[in-house]
Formats: sequence, structure tokens, C-alpha cells
Amino acid sequence: MRSSLIARLGVALLLAAVPLLQSNAYWVHIFSLALIGVILAFSQQLLVGMAGIVSLGQGAFYGIGAYTAASLAISFHVPFVLAIVAGGLLAGLSSLLLIPIVRLKGSSLAVATLGFAIIVHLVMLNEDWLTGGSIGMIDIPAPTLFGFSLGGEKALYYICLITAAAVFLAFDRIAHSRFGRALTAISQDEEAARASGINIAVYKSKCFLVAAIASGIAGGLYAFHSRYLNPNDFDFQKSIDILIMVVIGGIRSLPGAALGAAIVVLIPELLRASGEFRLLLFGVMVIVFAGAGSKGLSGILVDLVKYIAQHGQRWLLQKPWTARL
Amino acid sequence: MSTLLDISGLSRRFGGLVAVGDVGMEVAAGSVHGLIGPNGAGKTTMLNLISGHLASSAGKIQFDGSDITRWPVDRRARFGIRRTFQNLRLFREMTVLENIMVGMHGQTHCEIWHALLRSPQQQAEETAITERAREALDFVGLAHLADMQAGALPYGSQRLVEIARAIVARPKLLLLDEPAAGLNGAESQRMVDLIRMIRASGVTVLLVEHHMDVVMPSCDCITVLNYGRRLANGSPAEIRAHPEVIKAYLGGRLKRRAKPTQSSQPEAAHASP
Repeated sequence: MRSSLIARLGVALLLAAVPLLQSNAYWVHIFSLALIGVILAFSQQLLVGMAGIVSLGQGAFYGIGAYTAASLAISFHVPFVLAIVAGGLLAGLSSLLLIPIVRLKGSSLAVATLGFAIIVHLVMLNEDWLTGGSIGMIDIPAPTLFGFSLGGEKALYYICLITAAAVFLAFDRIAHSRFGRALTAISQDEEAARASGINIAVYKSKCFLVAAIASGIAGGLYAFHSRYLNPNDFDFQKSIDILIMVVIGGIRSLPGAALGAAIVVLIPELLRASGEFRLLLFGVMVIVFAGAGSKGLSGILVDLVKYIAQHGQRWLLQKPWTARL
Repeated sequence: MSTLLDISGLSRRFGGLVAVGDVGMEVAAGSVHGLIGPNGAGKTTMLNLISGHLASSAGKIQFDGSDITRWPVDRRARFGIRRTFQNLRLFREMTVLENIMVGMHGQTHCEIWHALLRSPQQQAEETAITERAREALDFVGLAHLADMQAGALPYGSQRLVEIARAIVARPKLLLLDEPAAGLNGAESQRMVDLIRMIRASGVTVLLVEHHMDVVMPSCDCITVLNYGRRLANGSPAEIRAHPEVIKAYLGGRLKRRAKPTQSSQPEAAHASP
């Protein structure tokens, strides 16, 4: 318990130091985007890792959050914190539209959420009066707090970091609660979960709700991060990217999801120099990482650390005895 | 003794096949009630109808004063009907203790926001759940395995974990589906002892089992099914002596051990075809 607290504080300090180590505005901008990706990956992890639900609709909730926050900020000058919260709430509210389909299982449910993502994207693309159509949303004001502008890349990075940390803590608490246990039970054996008194449909709906709120909040952050929304930022490709983050990072692990998100956002940027090949290289990496199985990259790292610890210990223990006197 | 479970005219058809046909049965509160019969007699179907995993085609299930015939599985579970499965259904990747903690789901109430805020109420509930789960684990004799991954346990221990998960919430009725399947002689004997302990703790048990060395010593009353129909109902001694039962199912094996008593005449509800 204590060691995990130290590890968390260490990671938090490291992430807080990032803009000081690399103060190039472009890179800080990209790091903020990675943190938004981390929140999205957390929301997918709640669905896939805990409840065993593959959602291909998280990009839609992300978009709903972004458009809500942008509209409120542009039309009603709503303060950015409230706009982001509203984005999360409306995304959560829209997840209730999925209630009729939560009884589906496996690939049927995944395809149904994909349908939802396609519909939401079409609304963004075609309902000009509401979403600005294919032009999107422009002139999103810079975030301000108590009259101070928070428009700088660094300020926004810290806003994203605090939000991501809050979502991590919230989901970590959920994982070790009655709600989290019920979701895990559902993912392992639905019949046994029902026989233990768990209402499957209610719990799957609640899981979608919580995950959609997190995705919506990520969307709100994105609106203020990018200050311009294009409907194609929220097509179903986005939903698939979010799923890739969790699968390569490691299913069932929140740190794994964060790692996966960092890879999915940062690697294409790092590979920019390789031009046309960067997406190809990215694709190959995804296949390699997915080859690690459900443990993902985080699982491999944990195994590696364990291996080193074990062998290091054996080496230390054996040393005096193997030395022949 | 009052009647806890009262089943009348219960039927379940699969297409043209009658898996369970017009079966009536009463389970007395505080008893261990056996449900036996040859393979394919409809025992597990009966259990699934009572737990709600199957919907009935006709008939009525009255439980503890309520008509539960149309209730879904989870509602019946929260109302006090818990079960184990013939083919083990553990949450394999959770720890043994977590498996049993899930069994407390219906008796606990803390919602998501309690967990997010770590409210005192939620903390107290978590402590209570953990304590109860450890008690249940101790009850089945697996206290030392609490932190093991459930799927990694040997078969016999997994059965016990399933039973602990089912009784942790102190249900009114426990449905056991072949708890002694795959157990050796010594383990079967321990299962008999455990079933007696469960009854002593105030839980009524409905036991589906093939092993007569488990059924006969642990049951107060036995219902025999054959081809989905009720063949007989009575005490273990009566069932042993019942000519229809001996003919249909138990055959020579029990005839040797049977001690016929003329005084008690068990009813023959339906003759086998």
C-alpha cells in the first residue's frame, strides 16, 4: 500500500516536471494531448478491463463532451471548468441511449456501440445549426479562471494532468469497491454474477455512464486545448484508437491504459521524421504490442521487473554460499 | 415445520421435449431436501427453474410467502435463493476472498459515489463485507487460501469456494447442484458434514446429487424424478424401500442396502412410462 503510494507520487512529480524539462510549446501541446488520451484510455479500461465490454463508441462521448463545452464557451461564455463538467454530464446523459442495447454481449454489443459512434459523427457533420457542420466549431475562447488567462500551453498541461490524476484516483477507488467487484464478476461469469444478486443490465448501464462522463470530460479538455473542433476529430477511427490504447497497454490495468495512450499519441509524433512510413510503422508496433496478450506492454514491464528482482535476489542470496571457502 | 418452497404443476418444455412435467414439491424450512433421479431425469432443469436461470413453461413457484415464478435470477438471489453450479462457475481471475465478497452484493448498498468519496458508510460496509467473507471461508475450511486466485485452486477447493460464495449472505435456501461430483470418498464425507453444518446454521438446502453416500445420510426428505416426472417423495428410508424407485433408478445397488418397512408407505406420484 505504502510502496504504491510512493510510486504514484513519484509518477505525479515526474509528470509535473515534464513541461520544465521540455518547454518547447509544441511538445507541451502534444503532451497535453497525450494526457487527454490517458483519460480516454481510462474510460475504455473501465469498460473493457473491468466489465469486459468492448466499446467502439468512446470517441462519440468524447465528441459530445467537446462540442458541449465548446458551444457553452462560445455562445454563453460559460467558465471553462463548468463547460468541461457540462460536457462530461451531457456525454453521460447521452450514454443512457445505450440502455436498450446493454443486454447484448461481446461482438454484438461492440458493433452496436460502433453504430452509435457513426450516428453521432453524422450529426456533427450534418447538423450545421447545432455543430457548425463540416466547418466545425471555431473561436473557442481561451480558458480563464478568476479573470486570469490560462491559455498558455503549460497551464493547460497542468489542467489536463490534474484531471487525469483525478480520473485515475476515482477509477482506482471504483475498482476496489462493491461496484468494481460487481463489474469484474460480470466480466468473468455473467450467470454466476446474476446468481449472486447482480442485475447485469443495470450494472453495464452504470459502467457506460461513468465511462461516458470521463470521455466527455476529456472532450471538454480537448475543446479548450485545440480551440477548434472538426467533426473528423471524432469519427469512429477515434473510438478504435482508444481501444488500441487499452489493448496494447494492458487490459485490466489503469497504469497500462495510461502507457498505451502515451504510445498511441506520442509515437506517431516521434515518427514524424519517417514521413509516409510513420503510420505503417505505427501499425506494425500495434501488432507487436498486441502480441503480448491481454497483459499488454505494462504486463511485460511488470514481469521484467519481477524477473530482475527475483534473479537479483537469488544472486545476492547465493553469492556467499557459492563462494567456495 | 413450515414450508419454505412450494412448487406446484411446474413444467418446462424444450421444443417437443418435456424436461420437467407437472412436478409438485414442498421443501420444509430448515430441512435438507434431496432431489435425485437417473441421468436426464430433469434434476438440474428443476434447479434452474427454482433459481430462475430457466423460465418455466407452466406452474407456480411459491417461496417464503411470495410468488416468484416470474422473478429474474438476481432478484431471487437477493430475496434469499442462492446456488452452486454443476460445472463450477467461479470468478476465476479474482481472488478467493473477492469471489466470496461478490456473494454479499445483494445484502450491501453502497453506490459509486460512496466509493468515490470513501464515505464512512462505505468504509464500514467494506470492512463488514470482508469480515463476513472471511467467516464464510473459515466455515468451509479454506481460510488459508483467501488471497489465492480462484481459478488456480484444485477442483475440490473450488467447489468449497462456490459454496462459501453462496452462503456468505445467509440465504434462506441454498441450491446445491451435484456438490460431490468429482470428489473422492473422504472429500464426499466432508461434504456431508458441511451440508449438515449449513443446515445447522439455519439455511434450508435443496440437494441434487448422484452419490447416494452423500444423499442418504444428509437428507431429511427426498424427491425422486424420472423422465421429468415426480416418481416418489419421502424420507431416505422410504425412498430406499420404494419399489418404483428401485425399479426405475436405484436397482440392485440399493436393494442390498434397503431395509423395507411396511409401516411407511411413500406415495407414488407418477409411474414411470
